[in-house]
This record gives sequence, structure tokens and C-alpha cells, in this order.
Amino acid sequence: MTLKKGAAESRSVCLEMKNIVKRFPRVLANNNINIKLYEGEILALLGENGAGKSTLMNVLYGLYRPTSGEIFLDGQEVVFQSPKDAISKGLGMVHQHFMLVDNLTVTENIILGNEPGKGGVIDYKTARAEVKALSEKYHLGVDPDAVIENISVGLQQRVEILKALYRKAKILILDEPTAVLTPQEVDDLFKVVKTLVETGVSIIIITHKLEEVKEISDRVYILRRGEITGVHSTPDVTKPMLANEMVGREVVLTVTREPKKLTGDPTFIIQDLVVKSDNGIEALKKLSLDIRPGEIVGIAGVDGNGQTELAEAIRGLRKVEAGQVLFQGQDVTGSSTRDIIRKKMGYVPSDRHRFGLVLPFSIAENIAMGYHTDPPNIRGINMNFRYMDEEAQRLVEAFDIRTPGTNVPAGNLSGGNQQKVILAREFSHEPEFLLVSQPTRGLDVGAIEYIHSQILNMREKNVAILLISLELEEIFALSDRILVLYEGEIVKQFRPEETNETEVGLFMTGGKGAENE
Amino acid sequence: MEGLFSILNTELLVATIRLSTPITLAAIGATICEKSGIVNIAMEGIMIIGAFFATVVAYYTGNPWAGLLAGIISGGLFSLIHAFATVTLHLDHTVSGAVLNILSFGIVRYLMVLIFGHPGTTNPIPVGLKAYQWAIPGLSRIPVLGPIFFNQTPIVYLSFVAIIFFTFFLKRMKVGLHLRAAGEHPLALETIGVSVYKMRYLGVLISGLLSGMAGAYLSIENNVSFTEGMTNGKGFIALAAMISGGWHPIGAFLAALFFGFADALQIRFQIIKLINVPEELFIIFPYILCVVAVAGLVRRSRPPKADGKDFMIERVE
Amino acid sequence: MNNLRIGKETLLLAATVVLAVIGLILYVAAYFWGFFLMAGAAVSYYFSLRIKNGREAAWEDVRGFLKKLSIPAIGIVVAIVFGGLIMLLTGYNPLKAFRALFYGGFVRNWHVSILNATPLIFTGLSIAFAFNAGLFNIGAEGQYYIGLMASTWLGLRLGLPPIIVIPFIFVVAGALAAAYNAVPAFLKVKTGAHEVITTMMFAHIARYMSPIFIRANGGDPATSTHAYVTDVIGENTWLPMFRDFLPRANYRLHIGILIAIATAVFVHYILYKTKFGFEIRAVGENKDAARAQGISIGVNVFRALLFAGFLAGLSGVTEVLGLSHKMFENLNAGYGWNGISVALLAGNNPLGVIFTAILWGALDAGGQYMTRTTQTPNSIVEIIKGVILFLIVARYIYTVLGGKLKKRRSAAVKEAK
Repeated sequence: MTLKKGAAESRSVCLEMKNIVKRFPRVLANNNINIKLYEGEILALLGENGAGKSTLMNVLYGLYRPTSGEIFLDGQEVVFQSPKDAISKGLGMVHQHFMLVDNLTVTENIILGNEPGKGGVIDYKTARAEVKALSEKYHLGVDPDAVIENISVGLQQRVEILKALYRKAKILILDEPTAVLTPQEVDDLFKVVKTLVETGVSIIIITHKLEEVKEISDRVYILRRGEITGVHSTPDVTKPMLANEMVGREVVLTVTREPKKLTGDPTFIIQDLVVKSDNGIEALKKLSLDIRPGEIVGIAGVDGNGQTELAEAIRGLRKVEAGQVLFQGQDVTGSSTRDIIRKKMGYVPSDRHRFGLVLPFSIAENIAMGYHTDPPNIRGINMNFRYMDEEAQRLVEAFDIRTPGTNVPAGNLSGGNQQKVILAREFSHEPEFLLVSQPTRGLDVGAIEYIHSQILNMREKNVAILLISLELEEIFALSDRILVLYEGEIVKQFRPEETNETEVGLFMTGGKGAENE
Repeated sequence: MEGLFSILNTELLVATIRLSTPITLAAIGATICEKSGIVNIAMEGIMIIGAFFATVVAYYTGNPWAGLLAGIISGGLFSLIHAFATVTLHLDHTVSGAVLNILSFGIVRYLMVLIFGHPGTTNPIPVGLKAYQWAIPGLSRIPVLGPIFFNQTPIVYLSFVAIIFFTFFLKRMKVGLHLRAAGEHPLALETIGVSVYKMRYLGVLISGLLSGMAGAYLSIENNVSFTEGMTNGKGFIALAAMISGGWHPIGAFLAALFFGFADALQIRFQIIKLINVPEELFIIFPYILCVVAVAGLVRRSRPPKADGKDFMIERVE
Repeated sequence: MNNLRIGKETLLLAATVVLAVIGLILYVAAYFWGFFLMAGAAVSYYFSLRIKNGREAAWEDVRGFLKKLSIPAIGIVVAIVFGGLIMLLTGYNPLKAFRALFYGGFVRNWHVSILNATPLIFTGLSIAFAFNAGLFNIGAEGQYYIGLMASTWLGLRLGLPPIIVIPFIFVVAGALAAAYNAVPAFLKVKTGAHEVITTMMFAHIARYMSPIFIRANGGDPATSTHAYVTDVIGENTWLPMFRDFLPRANYRLHIGILIAIATAVFVHYILYKTKFGFEIRAVGENKDAARAQGISIGVNVFRALLFAGFLAGLSGVTEVLGLSHKMFENLNAGYGWNGISVALLAGNNPLGVIFTAILWGALDAGGQYMTRTTQTPNSIVEIIKGVILFLIVARYIYTVLGGKLKKRRSAAVKEAK
């Protein structure tokens, strides 16, 4: 239900941000931003990662104070000292990373900070009733007593929405709401959003996905490098136009992957793998797959269906209860990580800060890590710093890593360059197998393009590659074969040419019945 | 065999409560503190401060209740240093705790010399809190449970109150819910407008007040003077009790009972001399038990998610 | 031409080492002109850096080093001022007191400072090393006690010549102290039991074990003429004195300080130049990433705690073999705790520990002199130490203050425009 162009302008402006500037010690995140939100509309804020969208919304929500500029609600200027002020004025926000306390119930999370009750004691009876009523009013279907860590991501997001509605939000900000949802859950979310608009709530959606902008929004602002580069009524723009304004140049929307005819037997084989998660339940239930040299197999799935455990089991970081992992004819099940590295099996982990790099270590030290027990990185028991620096220098040039030197701590680099350091480390040791997990999370388009091309490069070198990603676009762009992981099992295999995101999405949520419709 | 049975009696259980009280108080304090996200290993130092000031005030005023108040308040004030260091200065929690422990020894030594003229032990106070032992009418007559729970000294009763109150605090009070959120997901709390900093200051303060009370117990209720080093590791045992207790006030109490029991047992063995070994071997029994406890039970529960992790808000202009 | 450069650099480095060592030995023995030799060593080191990296880089290194020193320096100054204020408030004369403090610690009783610093260097190294692995060896005091007991036991029984027996005792007693930390290490690896609690408990246990040991080794009040003190260890196990080759040195000054400094250099080498140190530091900084790259957390935690135990044990060894030659209860207890301060103050850097330990030792020695001559209570030194510690460790204040100062300056500049 998109509104006609004329209708939007005849309504009142409920929110206006004027000349907002937000400066941080090292970066100008928002530079003179002007935004108008009309009552009852769905406004999209489009921009790639790092463009400044989240910063702007954090300013609006009172988490940051603007360096300069004003905010007007219904024509009145407001100054927010903290989110409390913003909330009291009718603003609500659903953050990209949910602000939910895992071990508390849905009710406790929703009422947090606004608990009913007298004398400092919480009146849980009233709270539960209110939550239940609210959930039914907006058709959100949430169980007030469920504990957050036990419910699905889609439901968690609804709890976040309920939090805002509980506080009578009139303007709801959704920050990258579909990042963690399956295609079906995205549809459900959009239905909820439309319902909310009908009850008089105005919505701002922050996103970097062109698809979403086209599907749900009435108007769109495009943000690039901290500045507004355009504002349009959504029906008037095409995706290429949006992409252009978002990145500032002609964007190649898909990386070209030459289809290959693969001969030869698979070198990487997983058979009936059973792996338990941290709380003792089976995360992988007799999982099997195989990969040929020069083939990219992409694992599609909603986060939490066993991806983490799969990656850890392959890397030797998690115990394998049953089944086998074979590489080049050798049984590497349960091998130590050190042996796995020695067998030329490389790893690009999903969380580069936590598992990929030691941020206080220099680039040279990070590049050597994992290979630091053998020459030429060591001489006897001593580290061979001269060799490490030379090698790091060579790789910095080869991978175009922007850094003042190889002795700089890895923590000083930008996200894209940090990821390049990891790639440089893994790729430079000529792996014959690569496990790549979420390789472009949080990176801008330029970095994504580069990393995708590097991965395809490895494919050309006949490396067997296992790609795990939560971004369907990435899976489709890179994979020769797509395997859908659902609740610890591979439920379907596709060739990307023979399917689409919706179909894959269906299997990602267990909807196998789609075939029979 | 006879000797063994002469030990196992109600006396033993009464002593268990007495010996576990300081650990209970400090452990509940540590629990609340960690629930808010701040690791506090300075209980030992806070207890020393509390014990010392309780003695000094009780000595000069002749009133042990004033001493108790002084112990509690001094513990609270001293703990604010830890709060300031960890919450405002974003210092590593363990390091700050260690520094506080070291500071406490120095402060107490200096003041001892200044006030009493010599290190070691202070002069005895005129009246200790033990003089105010109160047998609750009726309840104290119940066999076995009576003498154990209902015929005790003031701070022991206060510790019972603390167990009940802080359980209620965490589960049913608004502030308690906020405090728990501050330790699990501080950003979530901040984004709905509640100050995580304030919650963490509160958590540390509570641990300071309770540890101060624990120290006061050692010097003016269980004893009538202050001796340097009289805490003897109890602050760290309280930490173990907190962990074994699963970060819950009642669990902390049960774990503290366990350690108190070991201590009570060990003292009796020394007196009865069941076996002919040096008395020191008995004294170390509670410490060994503590090690066993943290090794064996630590897997069962998890600390608050944001425990020990710094939280910083980018509220820069 | 290159060969000539390398030749020059090596020559300068060799000169640095020689000058530093001789200067150090002399200065430590209160031949204060040794300072000039050490200064000469610094200069020749600078020139060797210049040859290796060029003039600009060498100068940058010097500037960076001085900058790093400024933080502790400021902390010390502020703490002294604070201590002075407290003295004023409680009725003592700060100027007299401080003059006595510094004169006593750094000149008159310099040998006492060195004697105090020696075991502190070892416990400081122990704690610093463990911290580099992300572990807090808070029970170093206990390992110190094990070192005391083991070296006394061996010293009472071994009749071998000094050249054999002294290194032997160092190694064996140190190993026993390391083994004492094996249980906490094992528990940490297998069950995650926090080493703060376990090593602390073991420290209490060791402390209670010592009276039993003393009674069994000559200190039993029922049978001994010197109750609560062990017999004296054999003279063959006593550490050589500086006086043996430098006649003007104090008669109590043993060469333990040289062993300590050499150990510090060795620990620095292990930590920053070897693959063992690399792994330990990786585990300390980010154990998840280290593990993902094949580094074994368990092995490194174990190594770190054991080596830390070894180092702390050596502190007890030097006390017995060098200074007391016997053991009694609470023999200089407190080295474990002070070791924590010394390590933190040095930013957990092994070479830095040398200096912070000497500072701490001098504060203690000077404090006693100050009390004797000006009647200012010694415990004011404890407060000064506490404040220094707190300020150094709270580095954040500097960054925040520094940042605010910069902002004010740039804002002022903007206004002026």
C-alpha cells in the first residue's frame, strides 16, 4: 500500500532534522543532514555500511548529541539528553543488534525502565496483561512468559517492536530490520509495518538493501559518506538509480562468476557429522556434503541453525560427536587446529575482531599467527621478525591494504583492511581448502567487491571452498552449488541458476511443502 | 569414635552460622555487584576497612552500634573508589580490586599507628555486639533450629534479613531488574533511558556496605578488637561462595554455610585432637575446600553476561 | 660498505652491554659514579639504533620512550604531593620527611633499597609474566613461601661447593614453587576455576605450612635454642657478597640483584623474542583468535602459571640464600603483594619491573630512615605507594584529560581566528 505522491505532501511534517552535524574524534559521520518525515508515511534511509545512517538515528534517538543542528517534532524544537527524552516524546527504535536481555522474559524486557507498580516493586500481573493485550492488538503473537534466549530471531524482533509500542511510540525507527530475517519473516515484518502505519505510526527504515526500499517505502533519502545525496518518492526511482546515488558510481550489482565444468572427485568430504552446541543439544545432525577442487559450495541458512558449530568443527575448535571430515583422502575429524592449518586448510572466520585478529598485535604478527611455529617465521625458538616484516610488506602491497606500516596494530585499520589482512594471511599460504564465513559482514561495497573477487580468484586456483553466509545475495553471487542448512541438516541442494532467493528462503525456514504447491 | 560424635551437635551448627556470617554478607554483596556487571575482588580490603573503623568508633564512643554503623559506612565509602575506577575511569576490574586491597592494608596500618600508636592489634573495645545477643521469644525454643537461627547476635540477624531482602530486590524490585540488565546487556538498558553507570555504582556500593558489615562482624561482634589481617582470606572465600552459589543470594548463603561448616569443624578437630597432627593442617581445610568448590562447581552456572566487561557511552560533545 | 656498518653496529651494541653491566654492578654497590658508565651505555645504544634505522627513527624511539616514562613520572609526583598534604594535615613536616625519605632510600641506605628490590623483581616478574597471558597470579606470596622453604631445606642439607649448589638450589627450589602452581594451573585449564581464588587459597595454605616446616627444621620451641626460627643454612650455600670483590660495598649486599636483573632480561627475551612468548601474549590479548589459529590455550596457560610460580619461588630463594640464611615465620612477608604493585606499575613489562622494584625498595628503605630520623610514621609511605599505584594504573584519566586539553586548545584557536 504505497501512497500517491500528492497524498504524502498534503500531510503534516511530524519530524524534521535540520542541518545535523555529528563529528567524532577521527571522522565526520553526519555532515549537514536535512530530513523531513511526514505523518503516516514509511520513509527509507538508504546507504551502504559506514555511510552514517545509524549515527544519524542514534542522534535522533538521544544516544548521541549532535555537534550542531536541530530536531523538530510536530514543529517544536526538542533537545534529547538521553533516549529517555526521545522515548517520552514518542520515538521508538528497533536496533539492528537487539537490545534484549537474554535471560529475562519477554515481559521483563518490554517493561524494562517503565515497570508498572508502586513503591519500587514490580507489578508483574498488570505487566503481563498489558503485554498480552498489546501483542494481540497488533497481531504480533508473542508469549509474555517466554525467555528471550529461547525464542526465534523473528519473534525477538517483534518483542523489540512491542517495547516501542508499549511506550506509545508514534515514530518507529527500524535499523536494518531484515538483516537477520528469512524472506518469509521479512514478508511478515512488512505486514506488521503496514498495520502499524494504519494505526497512525510513522516509520523510518534504515537499510542498505535496494529491494526493501522499493518494496515498502513511500519516500527514500540516500546517504553517502555522511551526506544526503538525494531524496525521492520511491515509485519515481529505479534500483540502478538508487545504487548509483548510494555509491557514487556505476555499480556492478553482481560479480561475474564464470560457470565451470568440474571434473575430478571431491577433495573435501563431510559424512554424517554430529556436533553438539554449547548447551548440549545436537547442532548438526548427521550432516553430509562434499566439495570439489575449484568449487564454491555455499551454505544458506538462518543464523543459529548450526553454521557456527559447523565452522568450528571443521576448524578443530569443537568436538565432533560422530561422523567424519575427510580432506584429500585423510581423516581430519577431531584433528587439532594446528594440524588442520598444516594440512593447508584455511579459515576466514565470521567475527574478524574476535576470532580473526589479535587487534593489539601488529599486522606482521597477525599475518604470522598460526604459522609461527615453523620456519621461516621462526629461527630456532626465536621469532624471525625480519622475515615477518618483509612478508607482511609484500602482502600489504599485494592485497592493497591501506596502512602506514606493517608494525601498526591491526586494531588501527578499517574493517575492510582488517579483513584483507586475514585474507592475506590465509591466501598467501596457498591453501587447498578454504572455509569462509561471513566474509563481508559490515563492509562497504568497495570492500565487498574486492573480497568477492579474491574468493573467486581462489576458485580459479582450484581451491575447494566452503562459504557460509547469512546474506543470500552473497551466496547466489559466489556459489556453484547452494546447500540449505536448517536445524542442523542439509535439507536441499540447488544450483543458483535454477532457483531464486524466495525459494531458498522457504527451505531456510523449513518450508519444504513449497514444492507441492 | 566417641570423639567424633562429641563434635557433631547443635553447637557445631550454631558455630557454622557464626563463622559463615561474614562470608554470607560479603558474598551477597559480591553477587549484587557482579550482577550489575562489576567484578569485585576487593572484598578482603573492604572488610578490613570496615572492621577497623567499626573498632575505632566503638572504642571511642563506647557504643558498639555506632561502631557497626561506622563499619558499614566506611566499607561503602571505600568501595566507591572501586566504583569510580571501574565505571568512570573504565579501569580493569580485577586490577582495581587488587589495588584497593593493597591500599586498604596501607590505610589501616597508617591509621593504626596514628591512633593507637602501634601496629598489630588495637586495644579492646568496652562493649562488643555479642553483648546484644538476642533470643527471639518463642522461636528460640524450637529444638535444634531455635538456638541456631533464633538465638544469635545482631549482625547475624542482619545477614538473614539481607538474604531475604536482596533476593526480593533482584527478583521483584524495579531497581533490581535494572541492575540485572546492567550486568547482562548494558546497552539495552541505556537505550531505554536508564543509566548503566548509576546501576553499577549502586551495585558496587551495596557490596561495599555489606562487606563493611562483614568486617564489623569480625572485629566487634565475633571479637572485641581489631587485628591486622584478621580477615584471613575470607574476602576471597566469599568470591568462591558467590561463584558456587550461582550468583544468587540464597546460593551464596548456602555456599557460605558450607565454608562456615568446614571452619567450625576444623576448629573442633583442633580442640578435640582426634588425630595427632599439627593444628595447621586443620586450619588449611577450609582453604582446600574453597579450591575444590571453585573447581567442581564453577561449570554449573554462568556469570552475568556483561560481568567484568567495560561499558562506555559515547556521549562526547 | 654494508659490512662496515654492521661491524659498527655490533661494536656499539657490545659496548652498550659492557658499559651497562659494569656500570650497573658498580652503581648497585654504591659506587655511584657507575651511573656515568650506564649513561655511556645509553648513548652508545642510541648510536647503534641510529645506524640500524636512521637518525629520524632513532630519535622517534627516544621521544616515544620519554613519552612513555612521563606517565609514571607524573603519577609519582602527584602521589608525593598528596602524601605531603596528608603529612601536613596530620601534623608532620613534609619537607623534612621527604628529604629524609629520598636521602635514606637513594643514598645512605641504598644497599637496603637494593636488598628490598631483589625479591620484588622476582615476584614482579612473576605477576607481570602471568598478566601477559591474561592471568592474575595473585598468590605469588604462596610461591614465595615455597621458595623460602625449599631453599632452606636444601641449604641445610647439601654440602656441595658453592659453584654447584647455588645454581642447583635456584633451579630445584624454583621448580618446586612452579610445581606448587601446577594444581591451580591444571584446575584453570580443566575446569576454568579462576586463578585469583585458587592461587590465593594456595598462598594461605603455604603460609600455614611454614610454621610446621620451621618446627621440623630446627625451630621447635620444645627442643630448640632458637624457637620459631630454622637452623642456619650451610655457608657453602650463601650467595657471594659484593664486598668480596668491591671492598666499599655494604657487608650485607649480596649479588642477588644481579641474578634478578639478569632474570628480568631473560624474561623479556622469552616474552618478546621467542615463539613461546608470542603464543603467551596472543593468548593474553585474544584467546579466541589465538585458538582459531592453532594456539593451544591450555598449554600456554599452564606454561605461564608454572613459569610465574618459578619466578616467584626464586624470590624466596634469594631471600634465604642471600640475606637471612635461615627461615622464620612471616619472613619478610608482603613481597607477593608488593610484587603486584611493582608489576602493574611497570605496565607488566619485564624490564620496567627492574625500575619499579627499585623504586619500591627505595621507598621502603627511605621510609624507615625517615621514621628513625624525623618520627614521621612509616606508613605514610604505604599511602604514597597506594596513590602512585592508583594513578599509574588509571591511565584513562590521562587520555581523557589529554583529550579535553587538546579540545580546549583547538577551540581557543578557532575562536582566535
